[in-house]
Amino acid sequence: MLFVARRAVNAFITILIMIALMFAIIHLVAPTPEDLARLYVGTHFTVPELVQIAHRMGFYQPIYVQFFNYVNGFFHGNLGTDTQYGIPEILVIEEYFPVTLNMVILGTILGVVIGIFTGAIAASNRNTGTDYGIKAIYLGTWAAPVFLVGVFLQLILAYELNLLPTGQVANPTLAIPAAVTGLPLVDAILAHDWVYLYSYLRHLVLPAITIAVISFGGITRLTRATMVDALDKDYVKLAYMKGLPKRQVVWGTAFRNAIIPIITLMALAFAFTVGGAVVVEDIFSYHGIGFFFVNAAYNLDYPAILAITVIIGLAVIIANFIADILYGVMDPRVRLT
Amino acid sequence: MLLDVKGLRVAYRTVYGDLEAVRSLDFAVEKGESVAIVGESGCGKSSLGHAIVRLLPPNATYEGEVLVDGKDVFSLKGRRLREYRGSDAFMIFQDPLNSLNPVKRVDRQMLEAIRTQKIMRDEPYDEEEATKVVVEGLKGVRMPDPEVILRRYPHELSGGQIQRVVIAMALVMKPKILIADEPTSALDVTIQAQVMKLIKELKAEYGMSVLFITHDMAVAYTVADRFLVMYAGELSELGPVDKVVTRPLHPYTTALVNSIPHKSKREGDLVAIPGSPPNMLAPPSGCRFHPRCPKVMDICNTVNPGVKQVEDRLLRCHLYD
Amino acid sequence: MESKDTNKAGRFRLFKGKSHTTSVSVHNEAEVPLGESSGLRFIAGFIRRDKIALTGAIGIGIFFVYGLIQGIIEMAADYTHNLALSYVLLPSNPFQFNFARSLGAPTLANFPVGIFGYDETGRSILSRILYAIPKDALASVLIVVSAIVIGMFLGISAGYLGGWADEILMRVTDAFLAFPLIVFAIALSLTLGNGYVVVLVALTIIWWPTYARFFRAQALTLKSRGYVEAARLSGLSPFSIIVRHIFPNAIDPIVAIATLDFGNVILTYSTLAFLGIGVQVGQPELGSMAASGLQYVPRVWWYALFPSIVIMAIVVCYSLLGDRIQDMVGGRLSY
Repeated sequence: MLFVARRAVNAFITILIMIALMFAIIHLVAPTPEDLARLYVGTHFTVPELVQIAHRMGFYQPIYVQFFNYVNGFFHGNLGTDTQYGIPEILVIEEYFPVTLNMVILGTILGVVIGIFTGAIAASNRNTGTDYGIKAIYLGTWAAPVFLVGVFLQLILAYELNLLPTGQVANPTLAIPAAVTGLPLVDAILAHDWVYLYSYLRHLVLPAITIAVISFGGITRLTRATMVDALDKDYVKLAYMKGLPKRQVVWGTAFRNAIIPIITLMALAFAFTVGGAVVVEDIFSYHGIGFFFVNAAYNLDYPAILAITVIIGLAVIIANFIADILYGVMDPRVRLT
Repeated sequence: MLLDVKGLRVAYRTVYGDLEAVRSLDFAVEKGESVAIVGESGCGKSSLGHAIVRLLPPNATYEGEVLVDGKDVFSLKGRRLREYRGSDAFMIFQDPLNSLNPVKRVDRQMLEAIRTQKIMRDEPYDEEEATKVVVEGLKGVRMPDPEVILRRYPHELSGGQIQRVVIAMALVMKPKILIADEPTSALDVTIQAQVMKLIKELKAEYGMSVLFITHDMAVAYTVADRFLVMYAGELSELGPVDKVVTRPLHPYTTALVNSIPHKSKREGDLVAIPGSPPNMLAPPSGCRFHPRCPKVMDICNTVNPGVKQVEDRLLRCHLYD
Repeated sequence: MESKDTNKAGRFRLFKGKSHTTSVSVHNEAEVPLGESSGLRFIAGFIRRDKIALTGAIGIGIFFVYGLIQGIIEMAADYTHNLALSYVLLPSNPFQFNFARSLGAPTLANFPVGIFGYDETGRSILSRILYAIPKDALASVLIVVSAIVIGMFLGISAGYLGGWADEILMRVTDAFLAFPLIVFAIALSLTLGNGYVVVLVALTIIWWPTYARFFRAQALTLKSRGYVEAARLSGLSPFSIIVRHIFPNAIDPIVAIATLDFGNVILTYSTLAFLGIGVQVGQPELGSMAASGLQYVPRVWWYALFPSIVIMAIVVCYSLLGDRIQDMVGGRLSY
């Protein structure tokens, strides 16, 4: 389909520009080859050593060759070597990213579902107590800093009520199931390791709820707005004129149209929650990419910081691409263009 | 009498205070008769139409009585209200681009109307039979290739086609009164004429009453038996079309008639009504038209004239006291 | 054909005059002319009448007026190297250690110094919060305003020129927006070097694309409007067209977006501070206070809680106001 192809080309160009952006930032900050080398290997090297490293890493080559190498390296999974652990970044990312992805996807889905339904309910009960109640809740959670939400939930659910563990990905005494897909949830199921799965899910609840709480407000707000617009449309009035019950008009006619723009927002919500995950993982000592990222930030581990930033950007672009395709599936008007 | 409106008041709560969109309005529509409601935008004509089918937004309040075929519309609830909509009154709207649900094919949307009606009447619903009814309906609105049209999405139809689909829906529903809210104002003039002709024919064929809401007297003239001229939420003049157009009594009606361009004569400017419609949050004292009225008298500034019978018309003007 | 404009103006132009006055749409067609022109004056008039918006506006007003006064005092103190000057307005010296009351609970004794409790070195949490507020106020204004200016320039140029310039801008903004705020902000701040000013610069670099896209969309829709076309044909320079036509039409929505965005900046800024980005040791910072307090949770809840609640209160004010303005500008406010 032409539509999919065009979106794919767009996404690819965006990825290239994103890489160029990263490349530009690195070279602006470290204009000389020695600076570059220091950025990549850390500060505990002498200048002659740095020159040698810069030579080895090709930092004396012309800028366009370096750019080509950088792009080439990116697409071959060469994202630099970690200065703390001395292993390629791609291995670190492979290890930690699925954990975060698992949590973020669950949190985003939860947030989107809560957001869409509260938004639609608020819109169909416009200017009533329900509407104002929902508004008060979402404005509150929206304005709350991530760390406040995280700490608050941790205090109540974990420390006070003892319902859930306070942190970690799973009970650390349990053996981790063999990595097949990388996603711990799927791996545990494949290995029939129900004990680990149960522990994993219990540990997942708090971070995922935190993510959902901080992200649903924006979705509620937008759903309410698009839903209010949709409910004012003539085709909704016409649906009432056909004698359809309110429930069917709201959920069958208006809702179906109102959620189309929300699909685009879902990709944005994903980006937002990945950002939130950085803080959430820090609070819950949840060993995902965000935890690793904050750790890298404390230790000024630049290769790790840059590699993770690019990978997360890549994930968001892919999410956007998927949202674009979904949009086309949902809206017959887009398919043609 | 099919539609009887008594002492209707429609108001909207706004941040700036209450906005009275329709005020102490009384009129009636006979079976098979068509009445055109004319006035500038914001005069309350749309609110009137929406009040009759109970589709006012949540911040609206209404008082008075609307009887359709003996049913007290404002007291209807739940299933009774749903039965009323579609079977007794049906309303079509002005914007053809938004009249149909963009994500559903035309056939789904038309069949949905039949199915809902069947379910409410506890009659069996048969998709094939219903499709035949729908195709007949589309043929009834002179739509070529109804089967092709049915398989399309709304964005694949033209504005005129969509408006005909909606009118076909009205045909299939067979309401006693059809309320048309500016159904042609977004269409090209040629399509406009076709749609008007269609509504006129349907009225004659099915004996449907029509309430035609428009700002365009020239368009309304072709379909209506009587004109109801509204200004600032009030009735200004109500009378048979021919008499209202040839000998308007109310100064506002006179101004409206004068602002119709005469296609035969190309010379001369269009006569615009001086001033602009009143701020409905703070309507003028006395007669609401007095700041723009060429025949304003002292009494008009302070006393709002009541509605009185003059010949075969209803009027709200001090000139005829 | 004139058919497209018939809905509003009436086919026969029933009344003369420009249709440039703002109106409140109460019911699809029944628009209420309010007689006030659009733009800031209209929004101000709306805020005065709407209780929710007014509450938010008053909160923001207090935040800014206080932030401005305290900020000037802090700058003056910094300039004259007179530390005591920096806390003349505050209930107590925010840097004063007092280990006797280390992690002291909120108390009414010595009012109001102790109402939010004391931190691990016995400093008044209230005084430290009040000392930190100007930084957040300055960050929000500086970042949003610079983002609007940059975004306006790039967005309008791209939208107006169209073609390749437009395509490039769209892809570049796509790339920028692909990075989650916090992640990009951390990466950028650390790469540029750490500190308050660096965080401001980094956030501005991150913040402009949203506005560029907004202004581009505005320019694109307005470019095709009849009156802009007419202005162009009559020989008005692109600059005058932008100033006279595109800009006035963008004011209402931009006020709505920016109001909500001020809150976003404060949230992002404090989250960065929470992670220790851009914080100087010893300097009070709402986010970093919350982070330090976290170590003593759950026994000492006040240390982390009060700075977080202050952040939340500020952002709630912005949300209340922004939400209402956006509803009004979008015509979704039905009352």
